[in-house]
Amino acid sequence: MSEDSKLRIENVTKLYGYGLLGLKKFKALDNISMDIDLTKPRIVVLAGETGSGKTTLLRIIMGMVKPNIGRVFYKGRDIHKLRGSEAKWYRREVQPIFQDPYETFNPLRKIDSYFYDTIRNVVGIKNRGEAEHRIDESLRFVGLSLDRVKGKYPHEFSGGELQRISIARALLTHPKMLLADEPVSMLDATLRVGILNILKNLKEKLNMVIIYVTHDLSTAYYIGDDISIMYRGTLVEYGPISKVYQEPRHPYTYALLESILEPDPSIRERYPAIKPSSIELKEFLIPGCRYANRCPYAKEICWHTLPPPTNVDGVVVRCWKYLDYKQS
Amino acid sequence: MPVDILTVNNLDGGYEVFVGKRKVFVHAVDNVSLTLHENEVLGIAGESGCGKSTLAKMIYGAIIPPLVVRSGDIYITTRNSANLKLNRLSIDEIRKRIWWLEISYIPQNSMNVLNPLKRIKDQFLNVFKYHDIEIDKENFMKHLREMLNVMGLPPEVINAYPHQLSGGMRQRVVIALSLLFNPRIVIADEPTTAVDVVTQRTILSLIKGWRENNKSSLILISHDMSVHAYMDDRIAIMYAGNIVEIGNVFEVFKEPLHPYTKALIDSLIRKGDRTIRKGLMGQPPDLINPPPGCRFHPRCPFAMDICRVKEPPTIFLDKDRYVKCWLYVNTR
Repeated sequence: MSEDSKLRIENVTKLYGYGLLGLKKFKALDNISMDIDLTKPRIVVLAGETGSGKTTLLRIIMGMVKPNIGRVFYKGRDIHKLRGSEAKWYRREVQPIFQDPYETFNPLRKIDSYFYDTIRNVVGIKNRGEAEHRIDESLRFVGLSLDRVKGKYPHEFSGGELQRISIARALLTHPKMLLADEPVSMLDATLRVGILNILKNLKEKLNMVIIYVTHDLSTAYYIGDDISIMYRGTLVEYGPISKVYQEPRHPYTYALLESILEPDPSIRERYPAIKPSSIELKEFLIPGCRYANRCPYAKEICWHTLPPPTNVDGVVVRCWKYLDYKQS
Repeated sequence: MPVDILTVNNLDGGYEVFVGKRKVFVHAVDNVSLTLHENEVLGIAGESGCGKSTLAKMIYGAIIPPLVVRSGDIYITTRNSANLKLNRLSIDEIRKRIWWLEISYIPQNSMNVLNPLKRIKDQFLNVFKYHDIEIDKENFMKHLREMLNVMGLPPEVINAYPHQLSGGMRQRVVIALSLLFNPRIVIADEPTTAVDVVTQRTILSLIKGWRENNKSSLILISHDMSVHAYMDDRIAIMYAGNIVEIGNVFEVFKEPLHPYTKALIDSLIRKGDRTIRKGLMGQPPDLINPPPGCRFHPRCPFAMDICRVKEPPTIFLDKDRYVKCWLYVNTR
């Protein structure tokens, strides 16, 4: 895998302030490293609870937030140092889809104006006929068309349609990578599947790499190929999704998968009991493994040193439990 | 034979709002009847904007304009077996006699309802004052500690301010607050939408444990079908202001009858499942101007001519299971 064909996240750490004036800092992301191969179309899931840092990491990849330590390389270029035409190139290559389709669009602006803006300013097509052809093409991919969208305002569409429009807009630049931040969490169950199927299609037909951020592990498995589980700013487990689901290595991944509620009343007696969590900030400030407080296997070392990434059968785990495994 | 403690008969209502100068009526609850048994969990499921929260507000008795009830009755059997017609009581009477003592409400987004300037214990003290209940300090602290313990909260919480607690803890404080006087009916409106999976499980199992100990009844409102699968005894499916189907939760999940329920259950993604699923096309109707006949007919794959003109009747399969759909008229 050469440098030119991957997204490389290198030791990324992001600090946020807390307390009255925000002078005290905690690590919202702690030393995250990850490689994503851009030549193979796949859906990489970033999963975790609220406050696990998954959205912050996505924003860093998007270039909206700068990390305090560490760098992000896209095809060998540091994305936080891109300027001018190079920054535009990155915008064409990587496109976002946001969580709340109702808030993505300005209610006073016509929907099609977003499309013309993107195609003129980011793609650089000035010819009207060519632009319309391109817009129609990407709208058709999500099951809409330019005629249906033309001259309409956001309130004339349902949430599911707005999310489709959002995806179509991102497709205009023919991106290599899509960054989707909880794209279905605001939608109703009956509409959710439609959007997920579109994402799946994008991967299969347009050979895209999609980073899908979610807290919903059932939809993650439905479309994902790889998964990285985050907990309080640390990446605890990263690997192929089927391996992680079949045999979760990290105690947190295990707890998380166990606590998913399934839409099936016949298995409800089988859920194990769980311990209520304590105050979040305290967990962020643990210098060692953030999960030590809740972990049933916590040892002395877990509290003061962060475990290094360990490769166990093709899955990267950060847990002291597996450290002997690597050395032997 | 289960005893009914709450009966809703042909309840019909919605919001009267002005659009410019024109007065429009948002018909959010359309001819809804249901009963709540003693010691059971009744779930109300449906998509956003189907009227489930409005129904909850009506049952709770919080009928404050623009919300209006046009017809129908809500009966409640109180602790001392008086039978009250809830929608005929004045709001002050409801406040003093019903809220907290008979029916409690766990609001949506409950982590943000605490007064940020008051310590947790003072917020609890306020509730006692509100109901003119005299309690000495020692008993109060004992009761408070007990209640917080039920919700799995450490005693330090008593003297904390809301901002010192995490979202999940604040939510548990609010739940403890609403369960303070052991009400017989608890209405929980999306109690876990704003929290993550692990916290959700914790909160639900705490509510479950409390309810089983107290033999109270719970009306659980949620759009999340997995929450219903975990909690409910009976489930009611709402679509555009109608209850389209009601029944035992096992039966409804195993054998949904109404086409909407079928589509809803088919679109659920289970853990470790990758088979391609189809969602439902289209969108829920506008409640200002609902479609004639069955409100689901524009999206229904089985729609017949009669569905487009006439509202389907309620077809009882047994005492606790009914479906509102023309497809089942002849199978009765």
